[in-house]
Amino acid sequence: MSFQNGGGRPDPAAEIQKKIEEFFSDSQMWWKLLALIVVLVAGYTSFYTIQPDEEGVVLRFGEYHTTTEPGLHLKLPFGIDQTIKVKTKLILQEEFGFRTDSVSGKRTSYNQGSYDDESLMLTGDLNVADVEWITQFQIAEPQKFLFNIRDPIQNIRDISEAIMRRVVGDRLVNDVLTVGRTEIAAEAKALTQEILDNYDMGVKVVSIKLQDVNPPEPVKPSFNKVNEAKQEQEQAINQAEKYYNKIIPEARGRAEQKIAEAEGFAAAILNRSKGDAERFRAMLTEYRKAPQVTKDRLYIETIEKVLDRLNSITVVDPEVKGLLPVFGEVKSAKQ
Amino acid sequence: MQNNKSLFLPLIVLVLVVTFYSAAFVIVEGRQVVITQFGKPVKSVNEAGLHFKLPFIQDVRRIDLRILSWDGYPNQIPTKDKKYIEVDTTARWKIVDPLKFIQTVQNERGARSRLDAILDGVTRDIISGNNLVEAVRNSNNILDVIEERQKELESVDEDGEKVASDMQEEVTGEVEPVEIGREKLSALIIERAKKELLPLGIELIDVQLKRIAYENSVQKKVYGRMISERERIAERIRSFGKGEQAKIEGKTDKDLKAIESDAYRKVQNIKGKAEAEAIAIYASALRRDPGFYRFVRSLEAYEKSLPKETKLLLSSESKFWEVLRTGR
Repeated sequence: MSFQNGGGRPDPAAEIQKKIEEFFSDSQMWWKLLALIVVLVAGYTSFYTIQPDEEGVVLRFGEYHTTTEPGLHLKLPFGIDQTIKVKTKLILQEEFGFRTDSVSGKRTSYNQGSYDDESLMLTGDLNVADVEWITQFQIAEPQKFLFNIRDPIQNIRDISEAIMRRVVGDRLVNDVLTVGRTEIAAEAKALTQEILDNYDMGVKVVSIKLQDVNPPEPVKPSFNKVNEAKQEQEQAINQAEKYYNKIIPEARGRAEQKIAEAEGFAAAILNRSKGDAERFRAMLTEYRKAPQVTKDRLYIETIEKVLDRLNSITVVDPEVKGLLPVFGEVKSAKQ
Repeated sequence: MQNNKSLFLPLIVLVLVVTFYSAAFVIVEGRQVVITQFGKPVKSVNEAGLHFKLPFIQDVRRIDLRILSWDGYPNQIPTKDKKYIEVDTTARWKIVDPLKFIQTVQNERGARSRLDAILDGVTRDIISGNNLVEAVRNSNNILDVIEERQKELESVDEDGEKVASDMQEEVTGEVEPVEIGREKLSALIIERAKKELLPLGIELIDVQLKRIAYENSVQKKVYGRMISERERIAERIRSFGKGEQAKIEGKTDKDLKAIESDAYRKVQNIKGKAEAEAIAIYASALRRDPGFYRFVRSLEAYEKSLPKETKLLLSSESKFWEVLRTGR
């Protein structure tokens, strides 16, 4: 056949064209092509892949058929079976009172807009608290999530808000702002789950976490004032205690000192008295042996010592009159 | 003939296909349909899958079977205790009787306007018929909490010891007991609205009071109250601190005086005892010859006590001069 051109190499282009013409001239070939297309389409629409974080919900003629795990799967072609892929392993998160703008870069940036409507809520004592929180959830049963409720995310948001207000509404503003955080989160989680279960929407609440919980912006400074007052209170008490600690131990020491001194005085006085007594006794014993002469001796010796020391002595004889010079001298001494 | 036959076969196929397409319909999960015949609803189907109807003369109207949500417009409602609040409600509903549904409200838009009217009205009635607390709190647990706090405060006070400063933050705001509570309030709303919605083929699943907020002008007043309360608490804490300070200073003074006077007493006591003993010792020795003691002690005193500058005026009759005067 290929040698019809007289031994020369066949023209490849002409060859192909000829084959194509042959192919289309045969009416059977039309059917073959159709069949081929059908097979290709069938093949293409019979396979689908489920990613590791997904599950596939298979509908047959619109009716729920089965849920498939990650991997390559077969289904009926031509749209008889339809698959909807749902990210069931992913933990989804809804934010209340704030919005995360982006998590790219080193620091997460938050939208600066105000979401006070979401976060301001009344507490049980009819005060207002600004509560920001996140609700994290997972799609546990994808077919329920898809077909039991329209707009499930919006419903989760609505319920989260309603429940958070209910939980906060049963507490004092102080508890909400301080010690009640974990308790509130736990209670809100349980109640939210309960209500979502009631809708049978196949959602599992993973956690509810309180973020910033603050007094409303205009009230904040006065809350800070309370904290300042607490500081001041402590400072005042500390100061007083410092003063106490400065004064009292010293006073105790001084008291001990005085007592010790008194004891010293006591010992001294006793020893002196004993010494004096002993001396007297000893002198007395000897004195008694020669009382008059001892007395005279002691007297004269003492007077001698005294007079020896004095600057001026005037001896007056009672028989001598005229004491004027003496008084004159007394006067001049005084001047 | 040959020509006719070749035209006829595809025609039949075409008619069959068109008929099949007109008769068959698919209901996807979460949807239901009402089959109408010349516009008149004849039956409803709510099972997903492939279904058939009469071709050409019957039509299919698709309606949602899923739970639908309704979001109310925030309403300003005065409560029974004359507080203006904004109430934002949300509800979940479901079309349970599609035939009634399309006859009475035709479609979802129609349903929404009825829901708006009914739920807004009922919510308004219920909220304005009750005090604000009923819509805020669910229970009276908070009263127990307050009572407990109060007890703690008092018990600490009785000790006369320092009261922990956190305790100072007394309960503020308005705490009244609730009679109905938030949950029951929404239950009441549901109960009333449900009755009105059932004839429309709608089942009301729940109503949630999503947001309850003070109306703006009221909010300002509430903030003002919160601020003044905080300031009062701050003042209280501060003055408590000053009081504690004064107490401690007073105690310092008291302790100081006690210590000093106690020391004085002890000192006097010790000295007194020692002196008494000394007196006894002296007395027991000197008693033997008081005259000699006076003599010796006087001499000693003269010797010690007369300073150099003393001018001594003596009579020559004194004993010392006796020898001088008499020569004997």
